Amino acid sequence: MLKFIAKRLVQMAFLFFLFLSLVFFLLQAQPGDISSQFLNPTIPAEVQQQILGRLGLDGSIWNQWWNYVSNFFAGNLGVSFSQYPQSVMSVIGERVPRTLFLFSFATLFAYVLGFGLGKRLAWKRGGLGEYGVTIGGVLLYTIFYPWFAILMILLFASTLGWFPISGFLTVEVWRGAPWTGNEVFNQLLLSIGIATLFVVAGLLVARRVSERSTARLARRGGYVAAALSLVGFWMMRGEMWTYARDILSHSFLPVVTLTLVAFAGTMLLTRSSMLETLREDYILTARAKGVPEKDIRDHHAARNALLPVVTSFILGLAFIIGGGVVTETVFGWPGMGALLLNATIVEDVPLATGALAFIGVLALVAHLLVDILYVVLDPRIRIQAGK
Amino acid sequence: MEVVEGDGHSSAETPILEVRDLVMNYQTKSGMVSAVEDVSFSLPRGKSLGLVGESGCGKTSIALTLMRLLANNARILGGQVLLDGENLLELGAEEMRRRRWADLSMVFQGAMNSWNPVYTVGEQIRETMDIHWHPKPTSAEARAKTEELFRLVGINPEMIDRYPHEFSGGMKQRAVIAMALACDPKVIIADEPTTALDVIVQEQILVELKKIQNELGMSIIYISHDIAVIAEITDILGVMYAGKLVEVGPTTEVFARPRHPYTWLILSSTPSITGPRRALAPLEGEPPNLLDPPTGCRFHPRCPFATEKCSELEPPLEEISEGHAIACWNYEQVPVTLARGVL
Amino acid sequence: MVIKDSDPPVLETLEEAVFEVQAGEQLPESLWKVRWKLAWGGFKKNWKLFAENKIGLFGLFVIIFFAGMAIAHPIFRSVGPWQNDSIYDPVIGYDASVVDFEVVATEADISDPTSQIDAINAQLWCFGVFPGDTCSVPQVPAPPSSDHWLGTDPLGRDIASQLTFSTRAAFFLGTIAAVVTVVVATTVGSMAAFYGGWLDNFLMRLADLVLLLPLIPILIVISGMFTVTMPLLGILIGILSGFGGTAIVLKSQALSVKVKPFIDAARVSGGSNMHLIFRHVIPNVLPLSFLYMMFTVTEAVSLEATLSFFGLINADMTWGIMLNTAQTQGYLRSGLEFWWMLIPAGVAVSLLAAGFFFVGRAMDEVINPRLRSQ
Repeated sequence: MLKFIAKRLVQMAFLFFLFLSLVFFLLQAQPGDISSQFLNPTIPAEVQQQILGRLGLDGSIWNQWWNYVSNFFAGNLGVSFSQYPQSVMSVIGERVPRTLFLFSFATLFAYVLGFGLGKRLAWKRGGLGEYGVTIGGVLLYTIFYPWFAILMILLFASTLGWFPISGFLTVEVWRGAPWTGNEVFNQLLLSIGIATLFVVAGLLVARRVSERSTARLARRGGYVAAALSLVGFWMMRGEMWTYARDILSHSFLPVVTLTLVAFAGTMLLTRSSMLETLREDYILTARAKGVPEKDIRDHHAARNALLPVVTSFILGLAFIIGGGVVTETVFGWPGMGALLLNATIVEDVPLATGALAFIGVLALVAHLLVDILYVVLDPRIRIQAGK
Repeated sequence: MEVVEGDGHSSAETPILEVRDLVMNYQTKSGMVSAVEDVSFSLPRGKSLGLVGESGCGKTSIALTLMRLLANNARILGGQVLLDGENLLELGAEEMRRRRWADLSMVFQGAMNSWNPVYTVGEQIRETMDIHWHPKPTSAEARAKTEELFRLVGINPEMIDRYPHEFSGGMKQRAVIAMALACDPKVIIADEPTTALDVIVQEQILVELKKIQNELGMSIIYISHDIAVIAEITDILGVMYAGKLVEVGPTTEVFARPRHPYTWLILSSTPSITGPRRALAPLEGEPPNLLDPPTGCRFHPRCPFATEKCSELEPPLEEISEGHAIACWNYEQVPVTLARGVL
Repeated sequence: MVIKDSDPPVLETLEEAVFEVQAGEQLPESLWKVRWKLAWGGFKKNWKLFAENKIGLFGLFVIIFFAGMAIAHPIFRSVGPWQNDSIYDPVIGYDASVVDFEVVATEADISDPTSQIDAINAQLWCFGVFPGDTCSVPQVPAPPSSDHWLGTDPLGRDIASQLTFSTRAAFFLGTIAAVVTVVVATTVGSMAAFYGGWLDNFLMRLADLVLLLPLIPILIVISGMFTVTMPLLGILIGILSGFGGTAIVLKSQALSVKVKPFIDAARVSGGSNMHLIFRHVIPNVLPLSFLYMMFTVTEAVSLEATLSFFGLINADMTWGIMLNTAQTQGYLRSGLEFWWMLIPAGVAVSLLAAGFFFVGRAMDEVINPRLRSQ
């Protein structure tokens, strides 16, 4: 298994190298000289050359390419033009957790909702419910996303007033706060991380145990522990909770909107996958063995229907990341996606490149995780991978 | 460990399984397909019964009806299935679920696909015990039983923790048989247990099955289109045609002297290595369309002994000697020896 | 007539043809006529299958409806009600009926909002007015009226005209993207299937990479750095999608064709690799390619609308640009008050994308019998 992961990592690194180079050359190909936009023409020529030298913009293109790529892998992404003198890395570093938050939750919810609904839909065929949910799902899948986001804001934020209209936090609430937005946000991420560890622990224990009701107990135990840890964590933090709650209320609408659009694909695919699985002989065997209906659906059928869904999820990841960019922009959520758009508009090349590269990294890492998940889930592949 | 018993009135004399006047149809877009028509037979304890017939004659349909695993468009229109005296057809869905495997288990056609690819074979066998054993087995007990079963069918117990795709075809078949025995059922139904296997493995499996039957005193129903296979391992032979049971009796008797024209023709069309040389007498025509079966006896269009009565009146299954029943008006016309050449 | 050994064997015609040649007679019908009849028969059969799927029919209806809209625009503009260029041109037209308002002191004093306006707002339109004066305010944007069926946008342009004009742009873009995708994917897939080896490996790794990477951020950066027009966008989308998932699917389709006996027959009679690819593999792969064209159009329409919405595309008028105009002028955040600038364009994008998607799914069920809901 470890060998498999290592091999995949190397492949990913290579792909990323390719991607980074392509991005670099793409940007070099743009018309006009980058430097001309940011250098005051009244600066004497020698000084211009000096500045160019310092920014690494002199020298042959191959030189520049090699410098850029090697610097990137060393963690040096250059200095932002528009937010001078902040380095690209620090600007991005600030934004990454927010995008990760949005992306992770949207992915998780979209998957859980899509898979759960899909398997239930396939199980109980026919009826108004199936028709309605399928139509609804397809509508959400095809709707124009920025427009849908605006409609969501108009309905829930403007009209109903349940959520704030945009942004990361409400400025009035934070006047005179003893912590910065980032500090509170990072604490939020930490608490979520701890809760996730409990859930994962529960799942891992459940896998080891072969007796089904004990396994179920282990899983539930994990969830309960996670919930308790969240409650305990924030009770200890006291006053910080008000600020954390503000951030959470700002994140609710973006996460829900992105989830709604992303879950439909998974749901439709799960449904077709389940329908195919249900035709298999081992389902009939399970029924002959006297396995209760719910266990046939979940333990036997869904587990197998899962596999193609996970595979196609890789496509879904790209969709969620792209959707994340739009979400951040429309909702004013200050993450990497919004950064990318803004940097592009002001033509801050190092920043835009860095943001794009980071989005590429995110896509590759997510892909790697799904690959590993797939190997874990399908014993036929697992045995091959172990060889 | 105690397996849930059906609350039947059992004694050593009553047959463990009795099917009476079973009628089952499929509802299709083109109409009702009469798949099982007035089928009756009984299986004595510790004996094996074989059901033979062409594809589509209803033998698998009977198996699925007994287990109540029929598709949604199936209609059981009448009859009784008495397992140890209890009518399975009258049970509710949940009650039937509890009986399945514990009282009546099945070995399916094409065992390769009976296994869920994502769980080990051991887990899938254990599943049956977790469901039907009361009280539930501990890990040790389940493992011990599984090992015992594997030894019985001739698989290395190490394979318990392996996945189905690591088993060969023959091993998968044996494992299915082992699983069918896991809850000590009263009756096992084996549907084409050897069809998907090559001849050598076929022979091995048949030997295993005979061994199991002898050692454990199992009551087994075999279903096959291969009369040779059935002949080897069954005590009682039932011949099915177009949804009807046309002849049933002790296997040796039926083979030595088939009384129903259909059985007689089938055996006539089978070459024999040891018997006298003779030309084969092929069976003309095709089985009828069950959407619209022939009037009277369903075999009459292809029967060389058919008379007018056969096209008007369906012959009932009647006993002509001890344990041997026939459904034919003209069975006395059937010659004692098998046919020579074309009729 | 010479029988070309490399024609894919169509049983009826080939037998006929061989028979005729052997007998030394002329063919009763020319080959193309027979081919046409077979194709037509196949089409009718597939149409019946397609029509069974209600959703597919709905999608087709939607597409036809939009095609109608696209045609309607030049008709209305030349011989219909929209002939007045200065008013109805979707990009440079302008029409704002001017309404006279009586100026009152404060907002609280307004008793009839259709003819009264408070002094502070009046100052924005008419310099130096006081309560009691009349202020003439151009109604921009204007709600729907008999002159402007869907009202006007913040720059006074007729929305219905914009909507129908943009339909053409959408079809145009969709077509380019679809054609480019299919050309790229079919070529890539066929080459990979046919040549195998390192070429196959390389192309599939490339496809994995393309599948992996989100299209929107890449297109955002590209359109930020370059001037992206509609044709260029179509080509970009076509290339970027063409190397991805579609190529993989078409490759396996090409593989299944490659192992068919007639390929060996053609090869034995001396066909070169390129000849085989173009004459045999590609025609058999094309039906599946056509299917993916539908999905490409869906994607292209949505992508373009998103990019235009952010103001990144250089085009005269598209639905995305319509929304962008409304958004940047601040009319979308005030609820449904200015609904005619919010709803039509958004619905248009969603519907057209959905229409092609539904048709694609229905076609999928025709081509892949396993998906049929039996």
